[in-house]
Amino acid sequence: MRRITKVCSAAVAALALCVTAAACGSDSGGGGGGGEGSGATTITFWDNNGGVRTPIYQELIKRFEAANPTIKVEYVGIPIASVQQKYDTAIAGGETPDVGGVTTSYLANLTGQQALEPADAWLAGSAVNGKVLDSMLASVKQATPDGKLYMVPATSNLDVVWYQKDKLAEAGVEAPETWDEFFTAVGKLTKTPDQYGWTIRGGAGSIFQLLAEAYAYSGVTEFFDASGKSTVNDPANAELVGKIAALYKKATPEADVTNDFPKMVAQFTSGKVAMMHHNLGSYNDHVKAFGAEKIDAYPLPVGASGKRTIVANPVDGFGVFKNSEHKEAAWKFVEFLVSKENNSYWNQQTGQIPANKDAQQDAWIDERPYLKSAVEVLADPATVVVSPPYHLPQFSSITKADTEPLFQKVLLGQMKPQEFLDTMGQMLTEAQAEWKKSHSN
Amino acid sequence: MTLARTASAERRPLALRWAPYLLISPTVVLIAVFLVYPIGSVLYYSLQHYNLTRPWANGFAGLDNFREMLFEDPLFWSSLGFTAQWVLVEIVLQLVLGLALALIVNESFIGRGLARSLVFSPWAVSGVLTTSIWILLYNPTTGIVRYLGAPEAAVLGNPDTVFGALVITELWRGVPFFAILLLAGLAGIPGELYEAAAVDGAGRVRRFLHVTLPHLRDAIVLATLLRSVWEFNNVDLIYTLTGGGPAQATTTLPLYVAQRAIDSKDFGYGSALTTAGFLILLFCSLLYLRLSRFGADHKG
Repeated sequence: MRRITKVCSAAVAALALCVTAAACGSDSGGGGGGGEGSGATTITFWDNNGGVRTPIYQELIKRFEAANPTIKVEYVGIPIASVQQKYDTAIAGGETPDVGGVTTSYLANLTGQQALEPADAWLAGSAVNGKVLDSMLASVKQATPDGKLYMVPATSNLDVVWYQKDKLAEAGVEAPETWDEFFTAVGKLTKTPDQYGWTIRGGAGSIFQLLAEAYAYSGVTEFFDASGKSTVNDPANAELVGKIAALYKKATPEADVTNDFPKMVAQFTSGKVAMMHHNLGSYNDHVKAFGAEKIDAYPLPVGASGKRTIVANPVDGFGVFKNSEHKEAAWKFVEFLVSKENNSYWNQQTGQIPANKDAQQDAWIDERPYLKSAVEVLADPATVVVSPPYHLPQFSSITKADTEPLFQKVLLGQMKPQEFLDTMGQMLTEAQAEWKKSHSN
Repeated sequence: MTLARTASAERRPLALRWAPYLLISPTVVLIAVFLVYPIGSVLYYSLQHYNLTRPWANGFAGLDNFREMLFEDPLFWSSLGFTAQWVLVEIVLQLVLGLALALIVNESFIGRGLARSLVFSPWAVSGVLTTSIWILLYNPTTGIVRYLGAPEAAVLGNPDTVFGALVITELWRGVPFFAILLLAGLAGIPGELYEAAAVDGAGRVRRFLHVTLPHLRDAIVLATLLRSVWEFNNVDLIYTLTGGGPAQATTTLPLYVAQRAIDSKDFGYGSALTTAGFLILLFCSLLYLRLSRFGADHKG
């Protein structure tokens, strides 16, 4: 009996230890995947906006693997809403992919954790050297303190207002050029509760769009003044926020206060909303809902300054991770993605502006009027480009978790626009000062 | 014979001394790995500045996080207040409605089996599915508000209606839990007690007050305690329905922790908030068990 007890207890203990060890020790895999037995290298690629774009990458990966039979690409589509968190977790656990989609909005956060490999030397020796738009390369370098190129740009974007052509024609409204025309148009297009002229993004991602509208309206040219103080709370910016908030529930659906991107697009594509502010990236959603001939877009209107002012969108591209075991293969994949033909294919499918100069000359851009005008706006020397402080690692949390609820308060009438922008301005000013201090020594 | 037995009895303690430890070792190892280590690391980080977006400022913080939480952070207090309101309203309503449901399905009537399974079915639906169903119900364009004479009313986007909407959703899911536990308690009450009370001239109300309730005491204490802790820590339902909004109107303490630690990447401060929540729950649970004298031998 005693022996049985002993044996049983030992077995139970051993079993429990095995379970525990298995639960804690899942530290294999990731970081490259290693060989496949046949001599092929497998690299892991994280798409930072998995979903609609997945089929585009599947096609590109098929082409890449056909051209490079010794490299296999394992695709992982990360939803855009959780991509930063996934990267942070991967870095903390040492489980980063070999190569991943990265944008300048969280580039500083990644390089701050020393997760990425600089691309300067690699690009210099690559076939795509000189082909990538210089302005995009510059804004990537600007986003990190050491000025190195930690990601290779693939696409450019612009804030635009999407609209349903027939709704505007019905109301006898032309695509607005100025903010005054814009507010008049919104009024004419609103027939509650059957049709709304406008929709406000009040939930996740609200602040960036709001700032793009505010700077386009005020014409303020820099995010910080010479003394390092944020210009976010400029009275003209506050005026625009007040005007937008005044549209809430009158010319927009009540649900707007919690609208994130999918809800906002769902509202627009349901046909109830005539105009919606987003960027070129949602082109496919609108085409799917209305058909390409029913929709169009115009750049954000021009304010009293008379100068078109745009807030630079984050540059989207690809970075190779430092602890990849197959950096050469990863670079090869990046080079393939930003080469003329593939960069053109990717951007044609997503409806955005290619980063590859040669790809920008392709015929499909001229065939889409909204895209042609976006390219012109970006290329126009008279366009004032306001660069958000992507170099601040806190920029993302300040413009998301910290201030999104405050904008909701503004919409609900619980906070004054000026007070809201003052709060945000103070956070940005402090973050900038702290950043300067920590990077000056 | 006697001698031999004595000898083996003397040897036995030596061999057996290790057996109990060996037997409980799996439990101890699992508790250490899955409870002691995580709790210890939260306590450790609560005393640190640990913010992924400000790596240059990381380091020992002492009680800085707690000082900021108690004296400089209005959101801590407002989220705590909302949590208290949420737990109180939910527990009282769930208890009352759960007890009523348990009493109904405890009676004998035709179709009782079916009624019982219907009553308990919401509890079997996963949390995320529950919220998906209710998000559709609350949808301003396609949901039930169309029939309530308020087209395009955003129930979850309006600070005046969002609390009620959350409460109803959680009741739908939580009432069956109380009903199950209380029904089990009801089944354990001997029928002759009711007969004796009826013979003594006690009406329905008196039988409920003097026979049913005293026998259900332990079940009620256990159910309310478990549920309070659950509701305090409720994240799935509120997060998926409102994300703590609009304008932080429905941010509970655990949601605030998620915002600070995961969205703002301030794990030091998030750990301090978690520690505060842990202490509050611990204190309230002990106090409640003490006051209710849970498990004490009660005689009428």
